Amino acid sequence: MLGRRGVLKFLAGPPFAWLTLFFVLPLVLIAAFSLRAGSGAIGPAESWAPSLEQYSEVLGTPAFVRLLGMSVLMALGIAGLATLFAYPIAYFLTFRAGDRAPLYLTLLLVPFAVSYLLRVMAWKLMLGPEGGINSLLGTLGMTDEPIGLLLYSRPAVIITLVYVWIPFATLPIYAAMQRIDRDHLEAAADLGAGPWSRFWRVTLPLSVPGAAATFFMVFIPTVGEYVTPALVGGTDGIMYGNIIQGFFTRSANWPMGSAMAMIMLVMTLTLVVIGLRIVRPQRLAT
Amino acid sequence: MRARAPAARTFTTLIAAGALMLAACSTPAEPNELLVLEWSGYEAEDFWTDFKASNPETEVTFEFGDTDANILALMQGGSQADIFHFYTGWQQFYVDEGLVQEIDTSQLTNWDKVPDSYKELGQIDGKQYFVPWDWGFTSILYNTEQVDKVTSWDALFNEEYAGHVSMWNDGPGAVAVSAYINGWDETAITDEQLAQIEEDWIAQKPLNAFYWTGEYVDLCPAVQDGTVWVAYAWQGCYATALAAGDPVAYANPEEGRNSWVGLYGISADTESYQLALEFLDMKLAELTCGNAVTLFYYGCANGDVMAAIEDPILIEAFGINDPAILESTNFTPLVTEEQRGAWTAMWERVQAH
Amino acid sequence: MTTRRVAVGVGRTRVPLGPFYAGMLVLLYVPIAVLFIFSLNAGTTLSFPIESLTLDWYVSVLENSAMLAAARNSFVVGIASATLATAIGCLVAVAVLRFRFRGRGLLLAMAGLPLVVPFVVMGVAFFLLFVAVDVPRSLVTVAIGHSVIAIPYATLIVLARLGGLDPALEDAAMDLGATYPAALRRVVLPLMAPTLLSAWLTCFIVSFDEIALAIFLVGGDPTFPVFLYGQLRFAQRLPVLIAMAVLLMIGTVALTLVALRLRSRSE
Repeated sequence: MLGRRGVLKFLAGPPFAWLTLFFVLPLVLIAAFSLRAGSGAIGPAESWAPSLEQYSEVLGTPAFVRLLGMSVLMALGIAGLATLFAYPIAYFLTFRAGDRAPLYLTLLLVPFAVSYLLRVMAWKLMLGPEGGINSLLGTLGMTDEPIGLLLYSRPAVIITLVYVWIPFATLPIYAAMQRIDRDHLEAAADLGAGPWSRFWRVTLPLSVPGAAATFFMVFIPTVGEYVTPALVGGTDGIMYGNIIQGFFTRSANWPMGSAMAMIMLVMTLTLVVIGLRIVRPQRLAT
Repeated sequence: MRARAPAARTFTTLIAAGALMLAACSTPAEPNELLVLEWSGYEAEDFWTDFKASNPETEVTFEFGDTDANILALMQGGSQADIFHFYTGWQQFYVDEGLVQEIDTSQLTNWDKVPDSYKELGQIDGKQYFVPWDWGFTSILYNTEQVDKVTSWDALFNEEYAGHVSMWNDGPGAVAVSAYINGWDETAITDEQLAQIEEDWIAQKPLNAFYWTGEYVDLCPAVQDGTVWVAYAWQGCYATALAAGDPVAYANPEEGRNSWVGLYGISADTESYQLALEFLDMKLAELTCGNAVTLFYYGCANGDVMAAIEDPILIEAFGINDPAILESTNFTPLVTEEQRGAWTAMWERVQAH
Repeated sequence: MTTRRVAVGVGRTRVPLGPFYAGMLVLLYVPIAVLFIFSLNAGTTLSFPIESLTLDWYVSVLENSAMLAAARNSFVVGIASATLATAIGCLVAVAVLRFRFRGRGLLLAMAGLPLVVPFVVMGVAFFLLFVAVDVPRSLVTVAIGHSVIAIPYATLIVLARLGGLDPALEDAAMDLGATYPAALRRVVLPLMAPTLLSAWLTCFIVSFDEIALAIFLVGGDPTFPVFLYGQLRFAQRLPVLIAMAVLLMIGTVALTLVALRLRSRSE
């Protein structure tokens, strides 16, 4: 009969094995590529002497460094906005939706089963210069010219990514809010706190870990995002991930692409660690 | 009696073993399957329908790469594909790295229908390594209502069309355009020239609505709904827009159009050489080759198919009635690995600006 | 603690939470509605005006065996990778929250790290890995790839919920004679069911529409996004693709409604 401790092998073992084999190993391959000199994909054996050439090339190109900075800023903004907009929805699901919450949540997620490509095509139809929204604004006399910034621009990328992330962003906040013991709220009510005060002093602080989790969950992958910028970003909204993708697919320059990916990885992780330091003291307080 | 039975058994066992060994040592039959490294969209049965008819039992499966760079990288990376498809400019790399083997053209029944100039594009050092299949032009596609007649490649740099231009997202393509405009030799771009090219394209960047990557996915809808007025384009969107009645024209710039040809190679490591040869032969067959024309509006290497085109839109798109076009056309030359590395890195810097 | 039916929260203030949710829902479904309209449009381009309505496209979906096969592949890969990822996410969450051991932080980091790596990089990395060990590309490799990128989401969601579950419940079960696995199975699992469902659904959706990894890892059988991307080159086929996408969404909704119904039935 397995004791509690004995079970640990079966709990931690399979994930360790799976992730080591199918994540760490591939990542090591990428890291190895980033230490290779020259361009091109595999290359001859001699070219495999370790070198920091790729890293110095990337870090020595101002355009790449600036773009990484801009992408990080955009990601921070998108994560913040997505968390902000997801919060009321998570609140609604937890405290207002009652039994219907799973259904409402499902309704939020299901549109993502429809091809993203097709949905963006539909949006482009409506946002384009001859599209529905501009025609509407034109007939209402509100604009002389089609609004450019809704499509093929940096704002378009931000708006689209926030829009796409909100449903997923509700999940960690919702999960955290569900944990809030209603007894606390009842006690606060008994002590005379009004609804706003109960929210501000009980619900909000207890939901901060969920909101923080959401923020990181959105921020981390958004730094390396490339699909949406390629679809709606035009030339203005190109992000760091597009360059990585370019080095892998347009240029077959795997070493450079790998180096850029590793740099982004380190940058993102550093920011996350810093972020966790900020959030942690609050976690301990709950 | 008893002593003989075991001997008989041993004898038959030996014979059986010998027969098995002979069978094993004889040339094994080729596996009846093919793996093709293709571009998205080309896996459709329309593009190998003749092979399907002649070899219904063969299992044809596909891997995908969506740029020439990617296809090369996948082949270098150990892809098991028997056949791969890429475009002019990249032939030398496959030969240099031993990734491709010679085509035995005597076994291709449709080979004589391929014009010589196309056959040559698939040759390195006189050896036929590649089979040409699809081809087309690159030129400027423009909206005749918004743009005056385009006579030069520098229309892509014209500030009057700011926000309505679209360039293909490709470094070597951009270098070629700059070479045409400045009258430089595409195959001998110096470092100073490359630096100038980088500056020019950085300045050009804001003129674009976007850089396009997928012809039918990105470019055609934008040309047709009026977002894009001037584009670096292949003739596919031209034909599509013409067929829809849109006001478009395909330029004949004074520097000449560009032309590209799609090539198929057989992997050096393939176990299915005969099958692969047949596959390529059937690619050149009338129906399969014709489908490239009617479905993608690309040219096809079967001369008979091209001569039989009657659709006025296609005739217009391919410039079939105007021999002067082909005369001034610049075919994509081979590039070296250094050039490729430098030009693609230059383009990524332009992207990042 | 199960949800008690008590009217606490921001109860009677004027914050229009319901309308906000409804507004978000509308925004999410507008492009779906547009696509639905075009799936009934006789014309083949994605532009107004709508000429005439027809059900032809839906009919031809049923005749398009390649497309149906691709859709089936996506469901199979989605179900497999979602189940794998959710299972691993659960294992990680329980291990990290209920035990102290030396590799605890490392395990958590490994479970979360796939989020940082762009899919195109994962695609190349997986390609290299499978080529190195001579594993041919197939739906299995796609499912493996998808399971890895989905693990962070599953782990995060399960962690967030499990963290609020009192360990005393499990201890109580063990005091009554259950082994730890039994305690997990009979006490924790039922309480976690809704969370597991949303984790699973999230992982499924991550896999279902994923193309960047799939295009590297798919062998002879494409998933639907890979198939779609190839077919988009054929202008005339767009309406059929849209019709299929709409049907797939309806199928996913049906699947999840059934799952929800089963879960509430068993409570």
